[in-house]
Amino acid sequence: MEPDPQIRFRVDQNLGMPHKPDISLRIIRALCKPELVEEIEGNLLERKDMLGYSSYAGLFKYWFEVLNYLRPSMLRSFRKSKNQGSMFIFNPRLALRNLLKHKSTTFISLSGFVIGLLSVIFLYFYIENEMNYDAFQADKDIIYRAKRLSTINGEAYGVGVTSGPYAPALLNDYPSTITSACRAYPQNGLVEVGTKQFYEEKMLFADTNFFEFFSYPLAIGDPQSVIDDVNTVVISKEIAKKYFGDLNPIGEIIEVDHEYKFTITGLLDDLPNKSQLDFDMVFNIELFNRYDWFHGWWYNGLITYVKIQTAQEAEGLNEQLPQFMDKYMGEDFERNGSKIGLAMEPYTAVYFNNKTRFDRVNHGSKTNITILGLVALAILFIACFNYINLSIAQSYKRAKEVGVKKVLGANRSRLILQFIGESLLIMIFSVTFAIALAELLLPKFNNFFGLEVIFTWSNPVVIYFFVGLILTILITSGLYPALLLSSFKPVSVLKGGKVSLGSNLIVRKGLVIAQFSISIFLIIATILISEQINFMKTKNLGYNKESVLIIENNNLEIRDKKEAFKEALRNHPNIIHVGSASGAPGGYHDGTSIQISGQPESIKIRTVFADPEYLKIFDIPVVAGRGFSSDLSTEIDYAMMVNEKVLKDLGLKPEDVIGKKTKIPSWEMERTIVGVFKNYHFLNLKNKIEPLGIMMGDFHRRYLVKINGHNISQTLADIEEIFAEFSPNNPISYRFQDDMLAQHYLDEEKQVRVFMMFSVVSIFLACLGIFGLASYSAQQRQKELGIRKVLGATMAQIMTLISKEFMILVGVASIISIPLSWLFVSGWLTDFAYRIDLTDNWSTFIFGGLIAFAISFITISLKTYKAALSNPTESIRYE
Amino acid sequence: MKGTNLGEFEELVLLTTIMLQQEAYILRVQEELKSQANRNTSMGALHATLTRLENKGFLKSELAGATRERGGRRKRIYEVTAAGKNVLTESRQLRDNLWNQIPKYALELIRI
Repeated sequence: MEPDPQIRFRVDQNLGMPHKPDISLRIIRALCKPELVEEIEGNLLERKDMLGYSSYAGLFKYWFEVLNYLRPSMLRSFRKSKNQGSMFIFNPRLALRNLLKHKSTTFISLSGFVIGLLSVIFLYFYIENEMNYDAFQADKDIIYRAKRLSTINGEAYGVGVTSGPYAPALLNDYPSTITSACRAYPQNGLVEVGTKQFYEEKMLFADTNFFEFFSYPLAIGDPQSVIDDVNTVVISKEIAKKYFGDLNPIGEIIEVDHEYKFTITGLLDDLPNKSQLDFDMVFNIELFNRYDWFHGWWYNGLITYVKIQTAQEAEGLNEQLPQFMDKYMGEDFERNGSKIGLAMEPYTAVYFNNKTRFDRVNHGSKTNITILGLVALAILFIACFNYINLSIAQSYKRAKEVGVKKVLGANRSRLILQFIGESLLIMIFSVTFAIALAELLLPKFNNFFGLEVIFTWSNPVVIYFFVGLILTILITSGLYPALLLSSFKPVSVLKGGKVSLGSNLIVRKGLVIAQFSISIFLIIATILISEQINFMKTKNLGYNKESVLIIENNNLEIRDKKEAFKEALRNHPNIIHVGSASGAPGGYHDGTSIQISGQPESIKIRTVFADPEYLKIFDIPVVAGRGFSSDLSTEIDYAMMVNEKVLKDLGLKPEDVIGKKTKIPSWEMERTIVGVFKNYHFLNLKNKIEPLGIMMGDFHRRYLVKINGHNISQTLADIEEIFAEFSPNNPISYRFQDDMLAQHYLDEEKQVRVFMMFSVVSIFLACLGIFGLASYSAQQRQKELGIRKVLGATMAQIMTLISKEFMILVGVASIISIPLSWLFVSGWLTDFAYRIDLTDNWSTFIFGGLIAFAISFITISLKTYKAALSNPTESIRYE
Repeated sequence: MKGTNLGEFEELVLLTTIMLQQEAYILRVQEELKSQANRNTSMGALHATLTRLENKGFLKSELAGATRERGGRRKRIYEVTAAGKNVLTESRQLRDNLWNQIPKYALELIRI
């Protein structure tokens, strides 16, 4: 051993006390060879004396000297003990043997980490994909979308669509602020190439500067001019494949709706990330120039994007926009008695702003992302806790190893290194497995959750994230066991005395409680969310949604023969009612203001244009006045009905409105209210019932067919045949009303699946952990159990003995997680206007706890049963 | 033991050490190198050179002379060994020989 540095100097007392070592001397003392320290320190002190203490230059020179001393010839060796063979360095083979020796615990920790990492990998990429929507747009920070602001009876909301004249007017009125503008109009239509004919849903009509304004990449075509001609189109690679196979599509002609012909001038390249605008064909919007609606301020179907150079300018512009709206629509506002506002919404905010109504862009949900992120974190926690817990539980087995190594000269840091090395080995295995599994399961995962997640491993951020994550896991889960194991005193462990794990008991119990709290939380959340979805699907909507078929009225052939087609359907024996309307419940309902004569105030309502069959098809009861008469000649352009909500909002009785003339200024119409119908949920259950008017009119986009339950497939085939008779050149497109409604709840269904999946994973992991602990406990108390058995304990008594301590933990976990899940679920439910009552579902909370209780009890029993069965002669034979 | 050849810098250090006699310790050597040969060295670098010379057997050293400025730490005083003196003489003779062989007119030409 080297002498203690403190007594190494022979200090001449006459020359004063040794210099109080400052940081520089301490560095030298710590790093340099002990035999050189005295001299070096002396030199440095003398040099400092010469340089003086005050000037920065002196200080700099001094530190230059200090650092220059740190060279190989001066540095000490850091090998402390001479007695440290390869045995104490991290030795992978030794670590591997240790892992193989304890197969079951290794398996538990390994599978825990694999599942945890798998969840994190999936969720990380899902979240990354979501956050990177439109990340490739070069100008994303200066693009804004024009959003209309409106209120319906006091409640403010934004509308994502605008009309044709906004863009030119904005460019004209604010030339210094708005540098460019681009309109995009999503459409659908029938595309025909030769004999191939498909109904395409993702067409986009855009201004000619579309490919300059945005950064959508083109594989073929010049972004500046590719859609300059009115009859040109740019298509995606999938579309090209669908219609032309491997042939070059450039220059080919496609026909849309039997009406328009377009020449293909460009090919879209694959997008680097996903985009809020979802399209696979881009046409020139000038095609619509000849139509009146395209120049009207009230036809709102397209999206207006503008570029504003700075955020301040955008804010300044937002303040001026009320004047802008007044300038162009002031007369209409006066006529309608209500105003509409306009605001510029940053492009990057559009994707996550899913509160905007009637929006034709893709949306994501920040809440979903946060929830999923937390779930991934929770799963990972559980896996880490498992590892910590099992390592602690195992430590008694390895106490002797630690003792022997210490006696042979290993010091603590070496042992810590060794144990962390073992954790690292487990991590390396788990990461490899997890990545391989993730690649393998990705298609299944995407399919199951209805997602399109892509893995992008090559991204440096991804690599940093995962390396950081693995290091964090390693430190959080490897460090504590390593510290614990390396702290054993050789004397006490080698003497054969018991290793005291007393103080760790609290840590271990805490970890088990945390694991089960998370699991129970997820179980309860899963059940309640699926309850809510079930509630929405089965709640009486105020109308009968069963067996109603919605057929798109989407081509000229069928449009021209509307009444004849309906008549033909009516003759079918299995068809009860046939009607047509502008939309079906759950779909888009246009809004307008109406002015009922004799009433001082106008009211905003949503509208449906329908034929007399509408109320019958959906079984909507009439509460006052009359329903529509089937005599179209008198009824059309005359009759309208309103729901009870209109009366309630105006504070009127049915007799106050029936027979009253009603003006609809924005559409320049006049109707007479003939009756009042009962409220029904014409949107979805996330929204409250709003005022609604059903009018006799001719703007029918859909046929509604009520069929009976006999031989549905035959009926559908017949309907298809009848449709083909009337419309030989266009395919039929239809779906059932209840299927369409279910679409509204897709997001929530996805959420349920995610929760379900991860609550299963979490409870599985927690059980693995508790299983490991129970086996440890059974082993530890083997002798005690043997003696108890000899003294006459029954099997049940022995099983409860061990189970009890764990069951208490699960009990505590339920007490913790029940209020937390209550808080979470009630927060989640606020998004829904119609929701389940949590107090009615109190039993779910108990149920969640009970499930965890039962599963963990069964898991533990597997172990305790064996322990209770074991022959006492085996366990107490030795010693 | 490394080779016993003498580098240019090592030669300077050895000469300075002889010149300084009893005063030959690292700070003084460093100072002289700076003032006479205009060579900037750090103590760390110089220490390495001195140790190397010691390993080659040209120098020997002992710790002595703690002073107040040094916080009571002793310094390492260097002394040139016989081997050191020999190698310096050899080097000087080599140079003198070479100088003497230069023709007179060549010396005049370069104006020395």
